[in-house]
Amino acid sequence: MQNTLLLTLLLPALATLLVYLLGKKSAKTAAFLIAFICIVDITLLFTLAPTILNGTDHKYVESYYWVPILHASFTLFVDGISFSMAIITLILILTAAIFSINYMQEKKGLAEYYALLTLLSVGLIGVFITSNLMLFYFCWELMLLPSYFIIGGWGYKEPYKAAFKFFIFTHAGAVFVLLGIGAIFMVTGDLDIFQAQTVLMTTNPELVKWILLSLTVGFAVKMAAVPVHMWLPDAHSEAPAPMSALLSGVIIGAGAYAILRVSLLTVFPAISATEFGSVFLHGLTVFGVISAFFGSLIALVETDIKRIIAYSSIAHMGYVLFGLSLFPSQEPITGTVLHLVNHAVSKGLFFLSAGAVMKQLEIRDIREMGGLAGKMPVTATTSTTAALSIAGIPPFACFMSEFLIFVGAFQTIKVDNFYLIPTALMLVATVLSLAYALRFLSHVFLGSTKHEKVADAPSFMKLAMIILAVFVVVLGVWPTFFIQLITTVSLV
Amino acid sequence: MIEILDVSLPVIVFASFALLTIPVIKAARKRQKWENTLNLCWFLAVFSITGATVANLALKYYSEPPLQPFLNLSLIEGSSAIFSSMFLVDAVSIYMAIIFTLVGAVALIYSLFYINSNEKFSERYYAVMLILIGCVIGTALAGDLLTLFIFWEATATGSSFLMLYQKTARSLHATLKYLVMIVIASAFIIYGLSVIYALTGTLNFWAVKHALAVLADKHLLEIAFIFIAAGYSIEAAVVPFHMWLPDAYTAAPASSSAFLSALVDQGSYYVLLRVLIYILTPPTVLPWTFMFAVLSALTMVVGNLLALTERNVKRLFAYICIADVGYNLVAITSVTPLGIMGNLYFFLAGGITTALSFMAVGIFNSMGFKTLDDFSGVGRKMPLTSLALILAAFSFAGVPTLAGFIAKYLVFTSAIEANMSWLAVIGVLTSVIQAAYLLRLINYMYGRKPNAEAEAKIKEPKKPLVPIFILAITIIFLGIYPTAVLNLIDPVIKQFPFMP
Repeated sequence: MQNTLLLTLLLPALATLLVYLLGKKSAKTAAFLIAFICIVDITLLFTLAPTILNGTDHKYVESYYWVPILHASFTLFVDGISFSMAIITLILILTAAIFSINYMQEKKGLAEYYALLTLLSVGLIGVFITSNLMLFYFCWELMLLPSYFIIGGWGYKEPYKAAFKFFIFTHAGAVFVLLGIGAIFMVTGDLDIFQAQTVLMTTNPELVKWILLSLTVGFAVKMAAVPVHMWLPDAHSEAPAPMSALLSGVIIGAGAYAILRVSLLTVFPAISATEFGSVFLHGLTVFGVISAFFGSLIALVETDIKRIIAYSSIAHMGYVLFGLSLFPSQEPITGTVLHLVNHAVSKGLFFLSAGAVMKQLEIRDIREMGGLAGKMPVTATTSTTAALSIAGIPPFACFMSEFLIFVGAFQTIKVDNFYLIPTALMLVATVLSLAYALRFLSHVFLGSTKHEKVADAPSFMKLAMIILAVFVVVLGVWPTFFIQLITTVSLV
Repeated sequence: MIEILDVSLPVIVFASFALLTIPVIKAARKRQKWENTLNLCWFLAVFSITGATVANLALKYYSEPPLQPFLNLSLIEGSSAIFSSMFLVDAVSIYMAIIFTLVGAVALIYSLFYINSNEKFSERYYAVMLILIGCVIGTALAGDLLTLFIFWEATATGSSFLMLYQKTARSLHATLKYLVMIVIASAFIIYGLSVIYALTGTLNFWAVKHALAVLADKHLLEIAFIFIAAGYSIEAAVVPFHMWLPDAYTAAPASSSAFLSALVDQGSYYVLLRVLIYILTPPTVLPWTFMFAVLSALTMVVGNLLALTERNVKRLFAYICIADVGYNLVAITSVTPLGIMGNLYFFLAGGITTALSFMAVGIFNSMGFKTLDDFSGVGRKMPLTSLALILAAFSFAGVPTLAGFIAKYLVFTSAIEANMSWLAVIGVLTSVIQAAYLLRLINYMYGRKPNAEAEAKIKEPKKPLVPIFILAITIIFLGIYPTAVLNLIDPVIKQFPFMP
């Protein structure tokens, strides 16, 4: 088909109104409509998989007329990396929508909620499948607006406060991205990343340096790397569980994806040979290690069920940053992208399971929980799957990707022995992540029962969790498909 | 071929309709039941006819082969033409005339529906609005500094009638403050103009430009420039000359604030653009760019910080108008085609965004919601008005898919192009501040519980929502598909290098 990607993007965009109108009548139907759209989108994307795997340049591009004066064309493309991210995003949106049927049913204004969720999916998919920086920025901010309103409108405690923090931090990051994009446009006269990359090679490296820094700082805020992570714990823990799953699963992943796609693949080659190039990569390593330790240590002492998971997201973005800093060798970058995919499903599952526990118990302090394994067998199983995956235990998903990152790191040490100590530290951090995962499981599910009258999660919540749990196991046992896809992308 | 009549017709038609409006509205008032419908029909007729004259000018300009991008037309031909008023037709002035007519129409129709303090506006109010639209279009079409001065001062002074309308002590005070500032400003300008005339022997834009380019002794020019720049800065409310604006816009009825911010404010930026860029380029004639860059940074910072501390919602939006001056100045100081494109886009996007916000705030104000605390929880009670206000807020904050983003993107990119990245950095940081206080407003509107007493009073009016949503939809459309307007601006960019 000629317009596959356009359809993929426009389908949820146009469906937003329909979801809203259906949601007025029956919220359940709206959720099913979202699930249906996700399945259609996944099917559409899969029709492109052969092109990516077997095509000559391993990518698929569509371009449409948009704002020619500003060199902003409506260019959509997929390659192996975008494809993987887009697929995983759609799976998470699908499960979030199904999970919401039960999870949100007592809440008011569900029509708006589902409409915002649909709009959010437009932004999320758009970020991954565009190669035009203007369209990229549109989608980048389109992730922000619906999330703001979902957190504010349906969150816990003082939701608008958390939402405010989230918006201001990530918007402040976004304006730096905008500066970078503006500078790229000024320097190269083009907004397409592939065109820009070639022109940037011949640009004054001093200028490229600032563009790179501005962009990376902006993306790092969305990624919640330490020290610009402050918005994450509040936003992730106060948001409703399906939104937390999306935030932790794909929105911060989008930050990492953007660093890879725009900072590293587009801008970085222009200065990779200079001294600043290696300083930049080493900087990423340092911040990665700090994030991993900071997140893991706080997760180890936190008592709020969702804040533990939120801090673990910071830790995992640390792994991702560490992996990205090993650019441009093939294994660690493959591992990093695979980790984004694996982390998305695992963390999504983790947040949904925690949401199920919270929903059934109506408390959030893990010290008041205990012995839920017998009461909530399905939730306990999915939580264990998620927690062990997050801790990097085989055969669950995250093990494979962390393994690849470390293999890459060891190879890089041979060339650049700067990475020796960071790699050792990262290995220690994986032990910490096992510690907080086990602590979580033992507090919540093991020990003596403190709550007698607890039932397991309702059926749709179970369904959503089981879908993700299956993915966590399947990706852990058989990551080949995604690895094949990701390795088609040339990094040099 | 464009005749002098084609150019002056929009101004003449607006002025004559302004006079006709008084008896027509009076007559309509006698038919109680049909009054609103008759009024609406009358103004629709007025704007169709005036719109036709503007369209005629635009079509004639664009149908001609663009041998001469700038048409200079004088009222009196022949040897005494030098004393005559000059008109100028180029892509910029046509674009401005079009947006003034369209936005003016929406703002005027809003004031038909907006009922402030249980009283409808008198016929004179509408007449003044029509005259102002005529004058501001005249400003856009002016071809020499004196004609520009006359039309512009007529606009600025005429605006005081709209501010004064309620005749409360506060509005009298604010209007007096405004008028004093305007009078000082016009004195400055006329002094500067007389020096320019002495130096160059003409006031025609291009003649002045050529004469200044070869001027040997620039001391007098510097004095003249300081006076003119200060004068026009006062009228555009550039910090530190901004003090009149918050008072005036807060004391004025909301329909006036909407009208003034969408037309007169944008008119004042247009004047700055015309005088600074079109007459004083290249900046080597006078090194004015750095001075205005500093003023622009100051305006962005001060305007946004004042808004951050403000708790009266209408005044908050008045401060945003000041901040907008700063953003416009960023593009003006860049002196690049991209900057001009940004300015022209900003005139439309910023104009309708401010107009939209004042219109929406006006509806809340008419129900007695004035401060941030009053706005607690109104979001759920008045969903449509609140939605419009949110759209305006996010457009101000420069969030994509809304018109404000494209405007800000162009403006900041032009600053980067002109090697003034520091100004772009200040600009984006202040727009984060802008996002902060606008989100605080949204937080009040949605995140808090309404107080029970206020809740009983709430009833969302329907009619004013029509002009409000015309603007809201325009903001979204311009945000998603800016090409529609950028194509209109494109000829300006192509003409810029050929400027005489």
